[in-house]
Amino acid sequence: MAIFKKVRLEEEAEIPTASMADIAFLLIIFFMTTTNFARERGLKFVLPEKKDQPQEVKIKSENLLKISINDKGELFLNDEEARWENLEREVKLRLEKNPNLIIIIRTHGDAPYDYMIRAFDAVKAAGGKKVSLGIIGGGG
Amino acid sequence: MRIKRRRTLKAVIPTASMSDIAFLLIIFFMTVTVFRKAKGLPVQLPYAKTTERILKQRDLAYIWISKDGKVSVDDNIVSPKKVALIFRTKVSENPALITSIKADKNVPYKYVHEVMEALREANALRVLFSARRGG
Repeated sequence: MAIFKKVRLEEEAEIPTASMADIAFLLIIFFMTTTNFARERGLKFVLPEKKDQPQEVKIKSENLLKISINDKGELFLNDEEARWENLEREVKLRLEKNPNLIIIIRTHGDAPYDYMIRAFDAVKAAGGKKVSLGIIGGGG
Repeated sequence: MRIKRRRTLKAVIPTASMSDIAFLLIIFFMTVTVFRKAKGLPVQLPYAKTTERILKQRDLAYIWISKDGKVSVDDNIVSPKKVALIFRTKVSENPALITSIKADKNVPYKYVHEVMEALREANALRVLFSARRGG
């Protein structure tokens, strides 16, 4: 019994911290590889509210610019055929003449989505703020 | 004369603060990490010049519309009616929700229109036409 008591040493409580940095680096690498930063880009738009009774707002035709895209992707500005390259300039010109201009982009249901984006992009680039999106044929 | 004993200098890199730096980096990455929730559909996004960047990733919800008109939300193929239902709950959870429409550039416009109508129905009015920057 006496021997047993002698052998017993005082032990200090210790937490091994040597591998702490290793664990930390492991976690860093894990989060670094799984992180994807916000890369979301796009064109913002606010949809009109849906009301039970649709309001009818009368807009004078001179305050309105209709951009229509048919199923072949041809462009019409107020029912006149126009060229895609000139769209931005054309819209800009009309906006300068009348800053209150409301622009309606009407796309045919079978026209590729890309054309609508192109038109919307051109209107945005020209500085048009009041934009409405519509569809020709195929409901609405 | 006293002879100076030459001491050998030991090169030491202080490593005590290493783990502090490491933990700082961990916390940084932990807070900025957004795990990929949905894979979506393979789409070819359109290009646009006037794209804006959305920084609030947490406000974003995604809708994928593939070339053949399939609509996907949270990795489920859904009908436009279902889209309205799903987004009604999403908007009630987060009123500042921005719906990112990731539509293929060749999809007929009517499919996008249907989705937009469904979003109007759900009162999810803030949308983003996801596009890549370029002419």
